[in-house]
Amino acid sequence: MITAVRKPFAEIAGMLEGSGKVLILGCGTCVTVCMAGGEKEVAILASTLRLANQKDGREMQIAEATIERQCDREFFDSVRDAVVQADVVLSLACGVGVQFLGEVFPDKAVLPGLDTKFYGAAVEQGVWAERCSGCGTCVIGEYGGVCPVTRCSKSLLNGPCGGSQKGKCEVDPQNIDCGWQLIYDRMKALGQLDRLEAVKPIKDWSTGRHGGPGKIVKEEALL
Amino acid sequence: MARKTARITALLCENSGWKAYVDAAAEGVEASRLLQDLDAVKLPCSGKVEVGLILKLLENGSAGVLVLGCPKDNCTFIRGNYRAEKRVGAAKAALREAGLDEGLVRLDFLSSLDSRKLIDAVVSFKGYIDDHSRS
Repeated sequence: MITAVRKPFAEIAGMLEGSGKVLILGCGTCVTVCMAGGEKEVAILASTLRLANQKDGREMQIAEATIERQCDREFFDSVRDAVVQADVVLSLACGVGVQFLGEVFPDKAVLPGLDTKFYGAAVEQGVWAERCSGCGTCVIGEYGGVCPVTRCSKSLLNGPCGGSQKGKCEVDPQNIDCGWQLIYDRMKALGQLDRLEAVKPIKDWSTGRHGGPGKIVKEEALL
Repeated sequence: MARKTARITALLCENSGWKAYVDAAAEGVEASRLLQDLDAVKLPCSGKVEVGLILKLLENGSAGVLVLGCPKDNCTFIRGNYRAEKRVGAAKAALREAGLDEGLVRLDFLSSLDSRKLIDAVVSFKGYIDDHSRS
């Protein structure tokens, strides 16, 4: 899923300063699962803003809504009136949803309530960790099911650097496993260590972010 | 929204706080007087308390929210009171962000037999709220 965390409250309050009617719009998919921008988080943020406004005597009407996804146009139909009535929409979706909200409602001011982080998995309850960088050309199959692009801090494709110590990465030895230690251990367990002897060529990074904004066109799905 | 009364809300675990509350309320006139500004809500476990619920209660006019769960390591649902502790902590953090006193929400632990402790907890919390009123 796409993971995110809520922006600091002071930053959100600053962005909304002077706004009369605010709609806080949650997203029911990835950011609901990672507990950053779903219905519950919308309610918590709305209550916190109202309490702050009560205390400081600010007039601000705050409406709340959450739709299934903010990255598909049809789901906005159910909140069209609420969006139109608001001066500004604070989206608790990932960066995709915030931008698409602005595309669906080009006349509406949209603001991000979250900081989008990474494609990750829930490794335990309350803990999410990055697993994919969206490089556009998946090489996981060549590395025993562990992605060197994402799990190695330096995205090295031909073995570890000198900063691998006791299975940990020099970038943050307390919190980051050495991706290449993970690859080695996994391929050893799979009996595939010999596959690591092949030298991998330079990766074509243009299929990912380095190639500019990506686009997928599926001809058979076009209307 | 201006508050009309200084009533506090107690979110009570049905296995401890709620039973203590029922016993306390039956203790007599003096106990009833001490509990008169309390809105008691029964929860299946203190771990059921939600950050959003606490904030919504305060937003809608409750002067303070008191959460009463089972003693540590004596939760019917094993870790519900630890969960409550984390959620109350998150609610306090939200109050600080809003520029409010985090003491508007308080968590305490007691057994189902502690009706006296419940009254003491309510009186103590009510006293704090009266001294730190938002209105």
